[in-house]
Amino acid sequence: MAEASKTRGLIKFIVWLAIGVALSGYLWVEYYNGTLVSWYYYKTASDGWAINSHTFANASKDKPAILEIGNFKKIEGLQAVPVKKGDRLPTNTNGIIDKKTVLEGKRVTLEGNTLKVTVPTQIKEAKGFKFKDTFMHKGIETNPWGGAWSVAFILALGFSLGLMAEGFTDMCGLKLEKIKHYEGVH
Amino acid sequence: MFEFAIAGISAPIFLLVLTGMTVGMVGGFIGVGGGYMVTPALIVFGFPGYMASGIDVMHIAGKSVVATIRHRQLGNIDWILGLTMVGGTMMGVEMGVRLLNYTKALGLSGIALLTGSVGIMIGLFLYTQIETHKAQKKINELTKAGKTVGRELSVSTLPLFFQNIALRPIVRCHTARIVISMWVIVIIGIATGVLAGFFGVGGGFIRVPALVYIAGATTHIAVGTDLLEIVVSGGYGALRQYMSGNVDMIAVWFMIIGAMFGAQFGSIATSFVRGPAIRYILSYSLVLATTGAFLRLFYMLTAQKYEFLNFFAVVFTLGEMIFLCLFIMTLVIFSVRHRHGKWVPGWIPSLVATP
Repeated sequence: MAEASKTRGLIKFIVWLAIGVALSGYLWVEYYNGTLVSWYYYKTASDGWAINSHTFANASKDKPAILEIGNFKKIEGLQAVPVKKGDRLPTNTNGIIDKKTVLEGKRVTLEGNTLKVTVPTQIKEAKGFKFKDTFMHKGIETNPWGGAWSVAFILALGFSLGLMAEGFTDMCGLKLEKIKHYEGVH
Repeated sequence: MFEFAIAGISAPIFLLVLTGMTVGMVGGFIGVGGGYMVTPALIVFGFPGYMASGIDVMHIAGKSVVATIRHRQLGNIDWILGLTMVGGTMMGVEMGVRLLNYTKALGLSGIALLTGSVGIMIGLFLYTQIETHKAQKKINELTKAGKTVGRELSVSTLPLFFQNIALRPIVRCHTARIVISMWVIVIIGIATGVLAGFFGVGGGFIRVPALVYIAGATTHIAVGTDLLEIVVSGGYGALRQYMSGNVDMIAVWFMIIGAMFGAQFGSIATSFVRGPAIRYILSYSLVLATTGAFLRLFYMLTAQKYEFLNFFAVVFTLGEMIFLCLFIMTLVIFSVRHRHGKWVPGWIPSLVATP
């Protein structure tokens, strides 16, 4: 009887382990082929210029970064792509410099066919040890289907890992009984 | 260190897995998501604040599934109670978020949030401590009188009042052995949901005491049922966070892997203890979180002048996770020793379950 239970536990463990590994593998494939990133950096939420803020990590007023404006499909280095609200983002984008920021001219100015950026990727806040992003993650819209997929994925992964663990304890002979909540004085 | 392409930072994988594991253990044991512990930890690891809360909520949704499956096996879930409450919770969360936005518009959100959370947590801590202490005393008296004490003993009379409200439809929760008006359950869901939405947390630390002291469920069933609730409300919260661009799925994956181990241990550990032990840990978690929130409130009220207050708030939050895990492990070790007739401290027998 106990052996049969252990065998069932072993089968349960292997099946759900395989499903958990397959789900995790699928997530990593989607990550490395860029799908997850493209779902996150999906569309623009405002008019402006798509940029990769890591390219001007150490920019300052003394050492500004000059971004070349053009209709590039992939941002490589100091480049910026003009975009309108709702446009799909070029590859390697991680933020938008919106028109308002450029019009203000405090952190970014438009000079001919270039953008002059005078702030780094992150600014250390005056108080505390927090760093505030300047343009990273700003002005972007995620893919709603990506959201639904991610929630479904995480629930499915939790389900498979939970049942895998249940199979593991059964396999080890640690079959847990239901707690008797109402025995004795209560 | 791992480069997180979406979050745009490098963070140590080991710490993410460890955080998932510790919070999974505490969450599986006391039935909370653990948002008030994870978010500050992720900020310390370098994630931006908005990403920290998004990753946290997404990982809570997955982790709660793992813990719920184990609690189902232990018979700690009342499906009728949980599913009746879900609607109210969702409505409450939405109301809480709107209330938060309203206070934000008034420019009061930071101080209002912290003052509110400190007040509620201190109130819950005091009530839980006093009631649990009385329950533990009663267990000792009954044991001395030679009676067999069960898993649960609560001395609160509040559930009787709420169970006597005869507002139809009346719901019969078979596992929790409760007969109660559906409206009481829905209102518990709404009230705890509002607080959860307003404070930006899963709400377990409010819902578990509410299920015990208002609905009258045993602590074990309150923990399991609350985790079921978190699966639904956490899933909804996770979708909202993703749409707001606050989630890095790879960071979530690392945390889930750690949480799988922690949640198993935490959930199984509930089978070694009596209800009052869970309530004690819940109340300690409340007071430690309150201390962290209080330090942060003081930091804000002093115009962010004293940086050490903010530093200690973070240290306290991280220390809390380790302290609670050690406390749970100690209880399990002493429970096993007690079962084998070995020496245990005098306060242990009334808190641990005897087979």
